[in-house]
Amino acid sequence: MTGAKGATGATAPEPRGETATGPGRLVVAVYAVLAIAATFRSGVQILRDFDAAPLAYALSGVAAVVYVLATVALAQGGRWRPVAWVAVGTELVGVVVVGALSLTRADLFPDATVWSGFGQGYGYVPAVLPLVGLWWLWRTRPRGGGSAR
Amino acid sequence: MLSTRILHAVWIPLAWAVAAGALLLAGWAGWRAALDRPVILRQLLAGGVVEVLLVVQAVMAAVRGATGDGPADSWTFWGYQLTSLCILPAAALWAFAERTRWSSVVLLVAGLTVAFLQLRLVQVWA
Repeated sequence: MTGAKGATGATAPEPRGETATGPGRLVVAVYAVLAIAATFRSGVQILRDFDAAPLAYALSGVAAVVYVLATVALAQGGRWRPVAWVAVGTELVGVVVVGALSLTRADLFPDATVWSGFGQGYGYVPAVLPLVGLWWLWRTRPRGGGSAR
Repeated sequence: MLSTRILHAVWIPLAWAVAAGALLLAGWAGWRAALDRPVILRQLLAGGVVEVLLVVQAVMAAVRGATGDGPADSWTFWGYQLTSLCILPAAALWAFAERTRWSSVVLLVAGLTVAFLQLRLVQVWA
């Protein structure tokens, strides 16, 4: 387990800023599942009847792309960390804004997206995951003045 | 059609059997994670059994689809079916790469996901 010991990087063979080992595997795994779910859902929605709920389905598509990006960036770590920060941050903003809008302006969302009701349809995983992702990125941040690669 | 009826009679119990197997595997993995232990080969063999059942299930679904009597929402169905096929092999790969308790946690999540997908598959199947 990469606890406080692993973080100091005494014997770790991985470069600093590694995000895909130890607890990171869980983060990446859950992201991957959500990315697949969001991609399939939005793909079916957009291909089958985009006109029924253009805003909701377009958002589903954006959400899917962001989840895929976050999964890849977290799995890569290192140089991909800035991408991960942006993608995971976007998710947090997305789930809060769309979650709130879907409750207050239901007319905009005739059909659900992955972010509707703060991720209700997915066991609120979409709301919790960005927080875990941000925490994990912060935990694994490169320290000690090493190069920013 | 008789063959379709047999397919129905077998497919749904098979889905529940897969779900039960996946849940047992998840429980086992959770236990190992609590003990701070990585995934062991015996768990991968158990996962292999679940995976074989998943392949049988997919073949049966394909046969049903080929007879022109597939699930109404075939896109969603095959999305779930193909996803459920990929999850355990991915968890197994990580079990080799990550020799810490976190491989057990990943297998736990993988098992729960497969079980949940079976539930959704049964819902879409009809």
